[in-house]
Amino acid sequence: MSLIQLQGISRVYGSGPAAVHALRPTDLSVEEGTFVAIFGASGSGKSTMLNMLGLLDEPTSGNYLLEGRNVAKLSDADRSDIRCRKIGIIFQSFNLFSHFSILENVCMPMRFAGVPRHEMHERAAELLDRVGLGSRLAHSPSQLSGGQCQRVAIARALANRPAVLLADEPTGNLDEKTGDEIIGIFHELVAEGHTVVMVTHNAEYEKEVQRIIELHDGNVVRQ
Amino acid sequence: MSFFYNIESTWLSLKHHAFRSLLAMLGVVLGVAAVVGMLAVSEGARVESIERIQRQGVDNIILHSEEPQANQTGGETIYFYGITREDIDHFRTVFDNVKKVVPIVELRKTIYANGKPTDVILMGAAPEFLALSRSKNADPRGRWISESDGALASQVCSVGVDAARQLFGLEDPLGKTVSVYGATFEVVGLIENPLKSKLAGKYDINNLVYVNYETLLSIFNRDALNVEADYVYVQVENLAYLKNTADRVRTYLNETHELPDYTISVPYELLLAEQATQRIFSVVMGSIAAISLLVGGIGIMNIMLANIYERTKEIGTLRALGAQRRTILTQFLFEAVTLTGLGGILGVLIGFLIAVLIKYTAGMPTIVTPGSVIVALAVSILTGIIFGTNPAWKAANLSPIEALRR
Repeated sequence: MSLIQLQGISRVYGSGPAAVHALRPTDLSVEEGTFVAIFGASGSGKSTMLNMLGLLDEPTSGNYLLEGRNVAKLSDADRSDIRCRKIGIIFQSFNLFSHFSILENVCMPMRFAGVPRHEMHERAAELLDRVGLGSRLAHSPSQLSGGQCQRVAIARALANRPAVLLADEPTGNLDEKTGDEIIGIFHELVAEGHTVVMVTHNAEYEKEVQRIIELHDGNVVRQ
Repeated sequence: MSFFYNIESTWLSLKHHAFRSLLAMLGVVLGVAAVVGMLAVSEGARVESIERIQRQGVDNIILHSEEPQANQTGGETIYFYGITREDIDHFRTVFDNVKKVVPIVELRKTIYANGKPTDVILMGAAPEFLALSRSKNADPRGRWISESDGALASQVCSVGVDAARQLFGLEDPLGKTVSVYGATFEVVGLIENPLKSKLAGKYDINNLVYVNYETLLSIFNRDALNVEADYVYVQVENLAYLKNTADRVRTYLNETHELPDYTISVPYELLLAEQATQRIFSVVMGSIAAISLLVGGIGIMNIMLANIYERTKEIGTLRALGAQRRTILTQFLFEAVTLTGLGGILGVLIGFLIAVLIKYTAGMPTIVTPGSVIVALAVSILTGIIFGTNPAWKAANLSPIEALRR
């Protein structure tokens, strides 16, 4: 059984002649433990695809099976719960909480999952240590470089041991060398059995990943 | 989500926007301060006026003799007027619900002590006046004027503690004499009114000289007195029928006196009128409070909407990380209630300060009651809930992708 199975998933904004077909009915599956890249130009539907996979948006039609469970038509509360426990999201501009320390940032998803305080702090420290920031737990995001911020974001995404990591242009705000370091972390995670789905428009990463999905005008043109 | 997290996140958010938060709170702060301050002033005034009225005795009907004005008598000068002994006997014997009738007559002549004239006034009072005015004997060696003093026309008097000081300075007043209009009275007792009440709301009870009413009338006749009684206290048995008794006294005097040579005051009625005035005052204050807190609430709502607009991306991120709608709702509602709650506390402190300032600068009595503090705090928290709900609801219902796009 595939970790992720999309069956005829589509997303249409608006209706009638003005309707925009951001994503046309698509079948897709992602196996556990793979590093997948979604390529496409701006407006190709790759962000819509990521929103679908991340349960941030509801599909117009079709089924989304995550670990075999259809999550396409759940209530907001259930979808929030799945986002919390099963999905780890990494953003292009990190989206860290600037008022909180990086430790607190990593704790945030665990708070939503109701992890006990002591356990939460322990795991957050462990995860930050693992991305090389173990000595800076009390620092605020503004005291860190872009690459370090993205490492915090990765630690945060891993907090609740999600089934899949979704990364939206994770290297878009970083220089080439730092970007490569982030990709390196993803490689390590995949080697440990994690599943990473990364949206990017940078064709250079084609050789880095195990699987490529390419979108064009809302259609999957390569997979 | 833990309560602790809400406190932490609220604290960080307020700290981050310290000045803005303070401005947002200002409406609530000033509203609550005004309410607490004004209530303290009105409570002070209320307690003072009620005490003043109660000191006259709420179970009394007080009659005053008044000299009729020339325009009421057709230009004729009336030498003799006011409440008569006949009236007093009538109240004593005919009226029910009357416990005591205590007449007092004022001798408008100078008192001499040690041969020197003084400003102290001499009153002829019925012996029941001591108990009625809640005064007490101030010197165990002395005594108050008695019934038998009247029957025997004994020329003795009892003096108030302040009057004794005026008449005899630091000397022992007992056994001394005072002389008035050719008559001499021996001081047999010293009295004190601990409440510092006033006779008929006019003369300090501690600053008068008292002779038995009957004695005074038998010694001085009409060339010294224009009235048979200047003041008559009619004390009732049952307070519930006081109004009825007062009405009957009014009717009786109206029928028996051709000229309006008397007035009636009923402290209890004054008390009721005072309480009614206070109620109106409270309603007005309540309305002012409601308006100021409404303005304060709108300020809070405004700032919360601005906060949410500014933190849209943060809200989107929280939702993407798995925060429930109700988590976002609770967080922003908590922030709003914290703002108004802190504003309320600050307002109460400033209100206290206002009350103290008014007390010491304007000399008005002020009382901050625990009730007004509790109400002010409860209303400010309620304001936070009412005006925080809409912004918090908006934040909770933002679509995650819309919010993240910002």
